[in-house]
Amino acid sequence: MSLRRQGTTLFAAVLALVATAVVLQLWLLTLSMEALLAGEYRTLVPAALGSTALLAVNAALLRYVFRFDRDVGGE
Amino acid sequence: MNAPAEDNGRGHSRQTPKWRRDFPIEWEGDHYVSRREMVKFLTLGSLLLAIANWATALASRLLHRGSNVERDIGPAAALQAGQPLLFRYPTDEDPCIAVRTPEGRLVAYSQVCTHLSCAVVYDRAQNGFFCPCHHGLFNMAGAPVAGPPTRALPRIRLEERGGRIFAVGKEA
Repeated sequence: MSLRRQGTTLFAAVLALVATAVVLQLWLLTLSMEALLAGEYRTLVPAALGSTALLAVNAALLRYVFRFDRDVGGE
Repeated sequence: MNAPAEDNGRGHSRQTPKWRRDFPIEWEGDHYVSRREMVKFLTLGSLLLAIANWATALASRLLHRGSNVERDIGPAAALQAGQPLLFRYPTDEDPCIAVRTPEGRLVAYSQVCTHLSCAVVYDRAQNGFFCPCHHGLFNMAGAPVAGPPTRALPRIRLEERGGRIFAVGKEA
């Protein structure tokens, strides 16, 4: 199996993980907006921290994708 | 312009078909690139969502700022038991209501109903704050007890000093 074909399968899995994280971030944002309008300010910073953690996971996955892509380019 | 030629493996060269010239990318390569680009696009979206989350947290800080200013709302003698006093706090845009309970305790809340922002009024008969728009009722602790509101009224902290009443803070 060529490296590029492996990459196609791998990227589909990465895409599923990233999409799940983005949906969770959307959920956190709607939660934050509701809390803001309700005047419950204590939950906002933890929600933002959670969103940042999910961003970090996504960034790490993207970095992996870039590194894999570089290997495919050098094949 | 001549079409590119390729070897068919038997020593004869033949022309590349037109469809191949129009669509030179294999499906496998197409899937590889489109998934890679989608990961990039979603990560950018993830960055924007994280920024929006922090902006929300920052907005709450800005809204909360100025909620602890001190404001003289009137003489204590003006507030008899069971009598409401309307005032504005922390800004002139924020209507509030203070009541001295029959037990002599002083309480104050934002006058804005947490349902659809109508002004609540003190209802002595029901011993609470009544919203005439949709018949919402809050008890003297500010908690909703009847009607459509589900959230408590924001509480205003009061202090009595030298015969005057001061609003000193707003709680969410």
